[in-house]
Amino acid sequence: MSGEARAAGAGSGTALARRLAAPAGFLVAALVLPFFMLDGAHAPRGVGLGPAAWPQAMLALIAVGAVIWLLQELLAWRRGRASLTAAAAAEPAGETYSYGKAAGGLVMIIVYGALLPIIGFPLATAIFIALWCFLGGLRRLVVVVPLALLGTVVLLWVFMGVALMPLSRGQGVFDQLSIAILQLVGIY
Amino acid sequence: MDSLHLLGTGFQSAFALGAFLTIVVGLLVGTIAGALPGISFVNAMAMSLPFTYVMTPTQAMLFLGGIYVGGVFGGSISAIMINVPGTPASLPACWDGYPMTQRGEVRRALAIALTASATGGLCSALLLAFAAAPFATFALKFSQPEFFAATVLGLISVLAIAKDRPVVSLISMLVGIAIGTVGVDPLYGISRFSFGIPAMQSGIDFVVVMIGLFAISEVIDLLATDRDLRPRKTAARGLPLRLSDLWLIKGAVLRGTGIGCMLGVIPGAGATPGAVIAYGVEKQASARGAEFGTGVEQGLAAPESAKNATTGAAMVPLLTLGIPGSAATAIMLAAMMLHGVSPGPLLFLMDPTMVYTIFAAMIIANLLMIVAGIGVAQFFSTLMRTPPAVLAAFIVVLSVLGAYGVRNNIFDVYVCLAFGVIGWVMKRTGFPSAPLVLGVILGPLAERYFMTSLANFHQDWTVFFTRPISGVILALALCFALWSLWPGMKVAAGGIARRRGASAG
Repeated sequence: MSGEARAAGAGSGTALARRLAAPAGFLVAALVLPFFMLDGAHAPRGVGLGPAAWPQAMLALIAVGAVIWLLQELLAWRRGRASLTAAAAAEPAGETYSYGKAAGGLVMIIVYGALLPIIGFPLATAIFIALWCFLGGLRRLVVVVPLALLGTVVLLWVFMGVALMPLSRGQGVFDQLSIAILQLVGIY
Repeated sequence: MDSLHLLGTGFQSAFALGAFLTIVVGLLVGTIAGALPGISFVNAMAMSLPFTYVMTPTQAMLFLGGIYVGGVFGGSISAIMINVPGTPASLPACWDGYPMTQRGEVRRALAIALTASATGGLCSALLLAFAAAPFATFALKFSQPEFFAATVLGLISVLAIAKDRPVVSLISMLVGIAIGTVGVDPLYGISRFSFGIPAMQSGIDFVVVMIGLFAISEVIDLLATDRDLRPRKTAARGLPLRLSDLWLIKGAVLRGTGIGCMLGVIPGAGATPGAVIAYGVEKQASARGAEFGTGVEQGLAAPESAKNATTGAAMVPLLTLGIPGSAATAIMLAAMMLHGVSPGPLLFLMDPTMVYTIFAAMIIANLLMIVAGIGVAQFFSTLMRTPPAVLAAFIVVLSVLGAYGVRNNIFDVYVCLAFGVIGWVMKRTGFPSAPLVLGVILGPLAERYFMTSLANFHQDWTVFFTRPISGVILALALCFALWSLWPGMKVAAGGIARRRGASAG
C-alpha cells in the first residue's frame, strides 16, 4: 500500500466512517434544521419570499455541497487517497501536540466563562490567569501571583475605569468582594 | 490649480500645532483600539464622540479621521502577531501575515503591512482631495442590487482561499451565512433559529464568532505545542524592510490600492469586502498564488493596501453627498451634525478651508501612520517576547472582554467560547474557518441587499442581471469563480484523461 493510501486508511471501515462523518453531519443538519427555523411564529404569506427563504436556500446549498463532499470522499477512499481535510489538519513539521494540555485548556476556558457571572470578573480573571500560567508551565509563585493580580488590575482599569464597560461583579458575597476590589484599586 | 491652492491652505491649517496634535492623538487611539480584538476602532470613535464637543468642527473631524486611519491599520497588528484580527477587514492579514510570524518574521510582516497600508491610504487620500466629485457621482449609481452583487463578489472570493478544496470551503462559507441568519429577520421581524432562547433573537455577532474561532483555538494550540512566537533577532533596528521587499510587493500594493479605492467609494461596501477581494485577485494575479496562505508577502500586502485605500475613498460620498458608507463615516457624520455642519455639495462652497483641511489631514494621517504603526507594533512586538503561557492567558481574557464588549452581554461570551471550541475542532480536523467567518460577516449584508432589492423591484429577480452595473459585477464574480477554479479543473481533466489512456492501453 502506498504512503498516500496508508494515510487515507483505505480498507478500514472505521476510517471510512470517520472521513464521511463531517459531510454526513452537514447533510443531516441541513435537512433537519429547516424544521426548527421559526419558533411558533408564522411567516407572513403573500408578501415577498418570507423570512425563511434565505436561510432555507443556504441550507439547501449546504445539503448539495455535503452530497458532493460525500461523493468526493467516497471516490478518494476507493482510490486510496487521503481525506479532503486530512492534509490541512496535518501537524507542522517538528511540532508535537499535547492533546491533554489542549483538553485542559478548553475546560479551563469554559469554566472561566461559566464562573464569570457567578464570582465576578476580578476574581475569575485573577484565578484564571494564575491557573493558565501554571498549566502552561510557568510555576514560580513569585512570578505567577503578582502577574495575575497586576494583570487583573490593569484590565480592570482599562475596561471598567476608562472604557466604562459594565463587567460582571458576581453574585451575593462575590458582588461585595468585587465592589471592595474595585474600591481598593480606585475605580469605584 | 484651485484645488492645489485650497489643499495648500488645508495643509497650513492641519499643520497648526493644535490640529496636528489632534491628528496624532487620534491616530494613536485608533491604532491601539484597532489592535485590541473586540474593542474596534469604530467603538473607539463612538466613545470619542463626546470628547469632540469641546473641539472645533474641523478639529473633531481631524480627531475622528485620525482614529479611522489608525484603526483600520491597527487591526492587522493583532492579526499578524497572534492570528486574531482586530477588525473584520484584517481577516486576510491572518492568512499570510501570521504564517510569517510563525517563521519568526513578525517584524518584516508588520513592516510590509504598514508600508502597504500607508501607500493605500495615501493614494486614497489623494483621490479624496482631487477626484471627490466624479467618484461621488459614480457611487450614487449604486442601489440595492449593485450592493448585493458587490457582496456576492466578496463572497465568491472565498474560492481564492480554498486551497484546492473549493467544496469544503464553500460549505464552510454557507454555514457562516446560515449562522448569520440567526435572530430577528431584518425585513419581516420574525425570529429564526432562536430555539426559544431570548438572547438568540438578537442574533450572533460576527465579532464574537471571529474572536472565538481565531483567538480561542489559537491559544489552545499555543498551550498544546509550546510554540515559540518570539521575533527572530535581526541586526537592524526599527522595522526591517529592504528595497527588494518593496519591489516584491509593488504590484500587489498597486492592485490592492485600486480595488480599495473603487470599493471604498461605494457606500456600504467598505474595507472588509475590499480586503477580501484584493486578496482573491492577488492570489490569481501573483506568480506565487499557489503558495498563498503560507506567508507570502504579496498575500499580505494586497489586502492591507486595499483596506486602508477604502478610508479616504469612504469619505468621498460623506463629504460630497452627505452619505455615510460605513459605521465609521456615520460617526463622522454625527460629529459634523453635532457641530451644525451639514456635509454635501454646499459645504465645498460654504467652508472650503474646512473641507481641504480634512483632505490634508487624511494625507498627513496616512504618513504619520508609519510612525504610529512602528511605535505600536514595537510595543506589541515586545509583548511577543513574553512566555506563551502568559500571552495566551491574556489573549483569552481580552477575547472574553472583546466578546462581552460587543453588546455588554454575557451570552455573547458563551457564544464566543462555544465558537472557540468549534474553531479548535475545525482546526484539528482541517475544516477551514476563514470562509465561515467571511460568511458570517458578509452573509447578513447579502441577505439584506437581496431581500430589499426584491422588495424594491416588485419581486423581480432578473433585476440583478438586467441592471448594467449589477450585471457587470455578477459577471465579474462568475469570471472570478471560473478563474479560481480553473487550475483545479485542469488537474481533474488531466487525471481523467490519464485514467482513460491507462484503461485503453
